[in-house]
Order: sequence, then C-alpha cells, then structure tokens
Amino acid sequence: MPTFKIDDREIPFQPGDTVIRAAQRAGIDVPHYCWHPGLSVAANCRMCLVELLPPKGRPAMLLDVLRWDPEKKDYVPEKKPKLVPACQQAVAEGMEVLSESSEHVERARSSVQEMLLLNHPVDCPICDQAGECRLQDYWLEHQSKQKRMRDEPVHKPKAVVFGPTIVYDAERCILCTRCIRVCDEVARDPVLSIRERGNLGEITVAPGRQLDHPYTLMTEFVCPVGALTATDFRFKARVWFLRSARTVCVGCATGCSSFTDYDPRNQTVYRYRPRENLAVNKYWMCDEGMLDYRRIHSRRVLEARIDGEPTSVKSALERAAELLKGVPADRLAVVLSAQHSNEDNFALLRLGRDLLGSANLFVSGRPQGTGDSILRHPDKNPNSAGVSALGGAHPPRPVVELARALGDGKLTHVLALGSELPAPDLASPLRKATVVALSSHEGPWVEAAAVVLPAATWAESDGTFVNAKGMAQESEKAITPRGDSLPAWRLVSELGALLGAAIGWKRVRDVRTAMGPDPAAAVARAEVSP
Amino acid sequence: MEPLDLPLDESEIELATEPMLLNVGPSHPAMHGTVRVVMELSGENIERCDVQVGYLHRGFEKMCERGTWTQVFPYVDRCNYVSPMLNNVGFAMACEKMLGILVPERCQYYRMILGELARMSDHLTCDGAMAMELGAFTPFLWMIKGREMIWDLMEEETGARLTHSFGRVGGMAAPPTDGFKEHARAVKDHCLRIVEEVERLLLGNRIFLDRLEDIGVVPAADAISLGWTGPCLRASGVPFDVRKAHPYLKYGEIEFDVPVGQSGDCFDRFMVRIEELKQCGRIIDQCLERMPDNGPINVDDPRVVLPPKEDVYSTIEGTIQHFKIVMEGLKLPAGEVYSYTEGGNGELGYYLVSDGSGTPWRVRIRPPCFLITGGLERVITGQMIADVVPCFGSLNMIGGECDR
Repeated sequence: MPTFKIDDREIPFQPGDTVIRAAQRAGIDVPHYCWHPGLSVAANCRMCLVELLPPKGRPAMLLDVLRWDPEKKDYVPEKKPKLVPACQQAVAEGMEVLSESSEHVERARSSVQEMLLLNHPVDCPICDQAGECRLQDYWLEHQSKQKRMRDEPVHKPKAVVFGPTIVYDAERCILCTRCIRVCDEVARDPVLSIRERGNLGEITVAPGRQLDHPYTLMTEFVCPVGALTATDFRFKARVWFLRSARTVCVGCATGCSSFTDYDPRNQTVYRYRPRENLAVNKYWMCDEGMLDYRRIHSRRVLEARIDGEPTSVKSALERAAELLKGVPADRLAVVLSAQHSNEDNFALLRLGRDLLGSANLFVSGRPQGTGDSILRHPDKNPNSAGVSALGGAHPPRPVVELARALGDGKLTHVLALGSELPAPDLASPLRKATVVALSSHEGPWVEAAAVVLPAATWAESDGTFVNAKGMAQESEKAITPRGDSLPAWRLVSELGALLGAAIGWKRVRDVRTAMGPDPAAAVARAEVSP
Repeated sequence: MEPLDLPLDESEIELATEPMLLNVGPSHPAMHGTVRVVMELSGENIERCDVQVGYLHRGFEKMCERGTWTQVFPYVDRCNYVSPMLNNVGFAMACEKMLGILVPERCQYYRMILGELARMSDHLTCDGAMAMELGAFTPFLWMIKGREMIWDLMEEETGARLTHSFGRVGGMAAPPTDGFKEHARAVKDHCLRIVEEVERLLLGNRIFLDRLEDIGVVPAADAISLGWTGPCLRASGVPFDVRKAHPYLKYGEIEFDVPVGQSGDCFDRFMVRIEELKQCGRIIDQCLERMPDNGPINVDDPRVVLPPKEDVYSTIEGTIQHFKIVMEGLKLPAGEVYSYTEGGNGELGYYLVSDGSGTPWRVRIRPPCFLITGGLERVITGQMIADVVPCFGSLNMIGGECDR
C-alpha cells in the first residue's frame, strides 16, 4: 500500500483517499467541523487546514501577510505557507503533511476557532450539545484564550421550529452545512439551505416546506454544535450523565447498529444514536428507528397477570405450568416472535417443540409498514430472518394459520412469545384458546392471555437479531429489566423447570452455549459491526 | 465485703501468676484517634503488644478515583486534619509535577507561609497533648490557644478553620487577603511566645522530664529501617528533612536549620518539635519578607485554572473553559508521578496515576503516620504500662492519615 507522512509519521492510504480520511483510518484526529465521512466534502469550516510541504526541489507556495508585532506595536510583513483543507486534499505517494507540528497550522486553527466563537451565545448551560460539542472540545485544544473582539455579537433567530422533530438556533450555528448535505445526499430531499452571507448567514427551510422527511433526526445527529436540537431530546437529559450500550435498532428488519443512551441512575433510556456500521446502516438511522426507544418505556407489562389480575411472577409461572401440564402435543401451539431475539425464541423452541413436543410452530410480529430504498424496511420486525432460521427444516408458519386452526378447534392451548399481531382481526380467535403469553407490552396477546408473564425488552437483555440481509448482530443490555419483568429466555427456563424439564439457564451465556453455532440457520455469531 | 487481710508471706504461698491481657482502644481517651493496642502485661511491664490500626479507614484512595482531580482536595484535607494545608499543597504539587507547571512566585511563598503555619498547628497540638496526657494541663491550653490563632488566620484566608480545601492545581483558591502579612506575623509571634512560656513551664519540671527521658528510645538505625521520616526520625539523630534534602517551592532559598535529637527518646521527639516550631517562625519571617504584594497567584493555563466568574457569565470562551474544567475535570497527561513534601509528621508522598481522562486512575498516599505507627509496637514493648501514653503521644499518630 502506498504511504505518505503526517507530522513525520508514515501512513498508508488507499487510492482516492483524502488526507483526513487516511489520517482517521490511522487513528489520527485532524480537527474538523464540516467534514463527515458519510457526506460529500464541503471544506467550508477551515478547521482541518494542514500544511503541505512542497515536493523536493520545488519552492513552497508562500503568501505575503502582515503579522502584528506586539513589541514594535505595528504590523510587520511575513511569509506564510498556503494551507490546504485536509478534507479536500487528495493524498499522493510520498506527500508530506504537517498538522500539529506546524506553527502555521496551529495558528490557523486557533483563528478559525476564534472566529466561530465570535458571535456564539453564552448557551452552554442550557444547550443540549454541551458535553459533546466540538466547539467546546476544540476551544480547549486549539484556542484556549479569550476572543479579541469587543463588539456586541450579531443576534440571530433562536428556537426556530424547522419541523415536527427539529428546532434550530441560528446563533449557535457555524454554517458547516452538514445538515443540508444530509438532506440532499442521505434523505434525498433537499429541503434545507443557507440564506444570507457572512455573519448573517443562517440555515433555512425551503419556502412552503417543513423539515419533515423520514431522516430529519440525522440533521441533528450530524450537527457538530448545538444549532439543531431534537424536539424529542430537548432539555430531557445532560449527556455527561448518560452511558451508551452498543445495541441494534429493532424498529425494522434492516437492523441498524445503534447506541442506546441511558441514564444509569434512573435506568431510563433517553435516545438512540446511529452506530457506524458500513455493512448495514453506514452512519445513519431513520426517524422511526431513532424514536423507537420510546417503546421501551411506554405501554409496558411490568407485572405478571392471571386472568387479567396482577400477581407475582412465581404464582403466574405456577398457574402457567398448571395450564400447560398434560396438554396433548397436537393441541398445543407455540408462537415465536419476530420482535424478540434469537435467544428468547430459541428458549421457547426448546421448551415448546423439544420438551413439550408441539409441532405447531407459528411466528407473530408487528404489522408491515412503509419502506424505502435508503434504510427503512417494510418488515417492522427485527428478527424475522432469525426466527425462520431457528425453525430449521420446519420454519414456523405465519400466525394467520394459527387463527384458522383455533377457529377449527384443532388447537386449544397457545404458548406465545411477543406482544403484537400482524393484523388486528387475528385477535378474536385467540380468545377461544387458553393462552400463556410472554409479553413485554400491552396488546392483543396480553388481552387474550390467561396467564401473562412480563418479558424484558431488547434494551433490558442481551440478544442476537438477524436482519433482512441475514446478518446476525448482538445487542447489549442497557438498563435492568423494569418492574417484575425478566428476559423471556429466563421465564421460559423457569416455566420449563415447573413442567419437569431441567433447562436451568441463569445467564444469557448459558442460552448461547445451548444454541451453539447453528450452521442450518447460517447465523454468524460474530458481530458484524466494527 | 470483708477486707482481704490474708497473711501474705511469700515464702509460704506460691502466687500463681499469668500474663494479663490489657486492651486499650479503639475508643479511648489516651488513643489519639481510633487505634487499638492489645498488651500482654507482666505486672506493669509490657511483655508483648499488638497495635491494630484501620478503625478509621474510609476508603479515601478509592473515593478519589471517581471524581475529578480537583475534587480530591477535600479528601486530602481529611487525611492529616491537624495540618490540612500541607496535604493540600502536597497534592497540588503532585498534579503540577505531572502537568509540568510551576506556580507563580507569589503563590509559592503563600503556600510556604500557610504550610509552615499548618506545621506549627500540628506541632503545637502534638506537644500540647503530650504534656496534657502527662498531667500538665496548662501548656495544652496555651498551645491550643496558639493553634486557635492559626486557625483564625486560616479562616480569614480560606473561609474554613479546619478543612480548608484551599489548594488548587496551578495555584490556590484565592489570593492572600489584604491584611495577610500583618496577621500572619502577629500569629507567628504570639505562637513563638507561647512556645517559650511552655518551655519555661515544662523543661524544669522533674516529673515531666522523668516521664520522657530514656523512654521509648529508638536508635537511628531502627528508625530508618522502620521507614520513619519527619520529627520522629530526626529525634533519633538523622538530619533528614524533605525541605532540605529535596527542596521544593522556595525552601532552597530560605535559611533554616534541621533540629535533631541525640538518643531518640520521647523527650527528643518532644524537643525536636519545639525546635521546629521556632524554625517555622524563621521560615515564615523570611517568606513574609520576600512574598510580592502583587502579582498572579494562579498560573496562566486555561487547561487547569478556572476563568474569572465574570468571564464565565458573559463570554462563551469563559463558559467553555469553566465547563471543561468543572464537568469533565482538568486533565493530567497519562502517566504516573511520585511527589513528596515534608508534612507535619514526615515525608508525605503522593503517587498518582492518570489515564489522561479527567478522573484519577489511582491516588496513592504515603502517609508518614502509617510507618511511624508501625513502629509503636517496637517502641512500647519492654516499657511500663504508664509509658504507653508519652510514647504514643510523641509519635503523633493521626488516624485519618494512618488509616485513610
């Protein structure tokens, strides 16, 4: 691989690389605002300026500038090399780049930083971005001094509503145009642009439009400062109190890699963020997925129920065992859930198919939704592929057929995982059967069930999800299960013990050991994302 | 109960004797702080003894590892709570050593004056308590009166009498007050007068001398092998003082002597402290003379020093600087450091490890008391039971520092 040098360090690069991209791959951070690896190059923030040494035997390109000399109290003429933005400069073999080691570069970065803060309001205490703001980080690293301007800063509109999800603060904006490029290039809906010039410039929504495409939250995600804030997250949490778990979005079958940001003190999830995964979602997530975290806390089933009455998990498990004991295998239906992880579904399969002997396997999940060619998949279940692979030679049948069989009276008992049905008209046949449901949310299953066991959500348990492309991804547990809920595989394990089957899984590792690598399902256990 | 008037003729009756176990502490007036001494007595002689420390363990070092570097200051205050300023300065200097920064000259003198005053408070307390425990109550009251004056000064300067939390990485929390020099001079003079009066009261007192002389003798070799430092080591005749051996701040430019004892008995330890009080006076005098009246107290380094409050409220740069230092904590470069200063009881060392984040990775303290208390068993074994009090008193164990 060809190499070039940054600050005397030899770095390999791929043909077509820019300096900043090759540096980032080598673990060198060149400070930048407007550059984003997933977007086109704008080179407008000038923070990534670097010095390029001239090729051997050639003179450097020097500019005549004036420098203030505090001793002479006058400007003195000086020569300064012409700096280039690292985000735009293509790398060539043997090129020598000076970044931190160049005095000119440091001075340029300090000046850029000073200019960006000239009109910046004193907002850190009330700004959602504080704690993850580039302006704060780079001020300490590159400026570290007061600005010299003594004028009143330019005032611009604050708290401008761009659409249902985004609020814009023009005073905080550094006009890096990342949000504009996200709309143009990722969402393919060029709804944002800049109006005015210079220090009067601000981001604006196209006349007659709102910022309302399905990827609006990505504008907030790429905003390197606090100019764009999400209505949903605004003033809800301070980021330095949040911890991140590496998770997978369960909003649809795409299975975007995400971070789940939660506050460990009150065990509450506050937001999702996209996690870079070039094989699945690149750098992005859709609004639907970004806001899907709210399901973790809403309409939850937090206690066990027998015939609709709250009870302890222990007595509900005993009642469930009583109901299921002695049921002929051909009368028992086992319903897997495309909403739940491989671990949960595997546990239910082990109990229902292998130990209770039922061959009546079905799969339920959420109804289909809209999809697009960017990220959103019409199948709104994260693990449809995983569940059908788990069934092996006899994949579970759609839950429509269960409704038919219940109507015929062929099946009388149902052991179900999950909370939702793909269609509302499937709910009424369920009432004819005796249902034991392991559900995390309120819904048709909970309403129909004789016994409800409170299952943990994806955020409360480790799990593996297989997306529509057949990629298995592990999702980490973020918060502890809320209320009395327990991971579904754990409930199954305890129900199995009462039914005389010693499953005895205590940790998710036990379930994974039992699953083993499953060649039939072609489920790669290795995590896809870097 | 009838009187025991058995005819005790030893030739007739063989008295069965067995060693008696005597437990003192952990909560006992003669034990400074909470320490427990279990002694095996034969008559009044201590045959064997077992010193048990750790009753005041608060997990101080672990507590330090969850906040920022600045948030460590209140914890080190509570190590040697008789001279907290010395701990503050010692910790600040350890951090500064890691950052490679040197505080301004004015701050260096300020730190020295406050530190020497804290040392005076430490020695006044130790010698006063020692006298009191041997029945001489007046010197204790006088010396504590002197300590009160020092604490008044500390309160004037820092806002707190005991746990000041006044040190900062890169300087101090506030510059000296306007009347600092006059106040400090007056306090020092008054304390030195008290020391003279105490000397006149005690040093001609046969009972006091008999209780101390040739009691608890620790030869120099023993003191060194026990890892002793400070007044206890110097009482045994070893002239080791960190301020002289490895001068820090401006100690290299200041004239002062290192008093040493001859035999290493309790009296020497008492007298070394009395002499050091006078040396403190000399140091304070010179520092007060040399300390500039104007000039910065804190280094000019936005990485570590908080901006002025008016900047925080009115400029974005000040807000960011404040935010970075308060919310993320000032960042020490990744690496480790051992920094040592002369505390009230000897070499006070800080071993710090930083991973480059705003939170300490490891804060390890070398408390002089821990090693000195480690020698207590050696000091009192073979002594009489009544000698435990002066021996223990002369070692000046500070529970907070010893047990951490």
